[in-house]
Amino acid sequence: MDADREDAAKLGKGDTSGLAGLMNRHQDRLFRYLLRLVGDTSVAEDVFQQTWLNVAERIRRYDPARPFAPWLVTVARNLALDQLRRRKMLSLEEAEEPLAPASASDPHERAMARQSAARVDAALGALGPLDREVLTLRFEDELELPELAATLAVPLPTAKARLYRALERLRAKLLTSPAPGGRR
Amino acid sequence: MSAHVTERLALAAAGALDAGEAERVAAHLGECEACAARAAEWRQLADAMHRLPQPRPDPVLVARTREAVEALVAERAERAFNQAALGFAVALAWTLAIVGWFVFDLVAGELALRLARPIGSAAAWYAAYLLAGWVAAAAAAVMLGRRTQEEGRLV
Repeated sequence: MDADREDAAKLGKGDTSGLAGLMNRHQDRLFRYLLRLVGDTSVAEDVFQQTWLNVAERIRRYDPARPFAPWLVTVARNLALDQLRRRKMLSLEEAEEPLAPASASDPHERAMARQSAARVDAALGALGPLDREVLTLRFEDELELPELAATLAVPLPTAKARLYRALERLRAKLLTSPAPGGRR
Repeated sequence: MSAHVTERLALAAAGALDAGEAERVAAHLGECEACAARAAEWRQLADAMHRLPQPRPDPVLVARTREAVEALVAERAERAFNQAALGFAVALAWTLAIVGWFVFDLVAGELALRLARPIGSAAAWYAAYLLAGWVAAAAAAVMLGRRTQEEGRLV
């Protein structure tokens, strides 16, 4: 986006009006992404502020030939993952969490069709950070698979596999969580 | 009937299949009720994902962040100015020191001739000039250091 490039150039020259433009356009998406990734409002707020400080520090390293948003997400992602590691919130065990059998077909599974966004939100919150991240990037930020892979810094087949596993885990969480009204 | 595409349905609902895969899945769904029902469930889950509550940053956080970044940018600008000023001052000091020798040599010789009596060697005057320069630079450094300390206490 041209406005992003112009504002990034302004910020690079020390003109903070550039920061206002960048923040206005990207703050909501950035905050949502961080909240989904770290799963904790106060941590997300810390990383949100640190991300913009890092952007101001490193803005001269930004390549204006590329879009600003993925660069911003990369800066935020690195900070968030550091925070998660430091706080030991990033567990690799989630990769071994069993998936619900893909072929299961029972009343619980049918209940999935009646998921409210709020219930899905709760199930999403119960997933690991990396699952939440790939799902929010695909469904909320609506990144196409190549952009998703670039943001996660993984090959495209890995991004696809990660998305698939995250969806299956989300489904498994929904199937094991209580349905509205106490029914399952 | 073609083989079931169960494992492709989640990615199909997520719009993450390439064109060929998506076509194969669509063709299978047209002839398999079980997979079509499961695909509908995945689509509903995907729809719910698109309708998730959208948290927004607290305006206080946004304002605090802007202030912090503006302070950082101002500090960076001041640091850059100070570095440039220091570089200029060092270059000027060396220039004056080198040029000064020739000026003192010339002036001391001319002055002694005009006054018709010795006024001391050019080297002595030059040494005094350098000493005065060093004392002035040290005083300036001490004053700047104190100012920086006071600013640090105020922050």
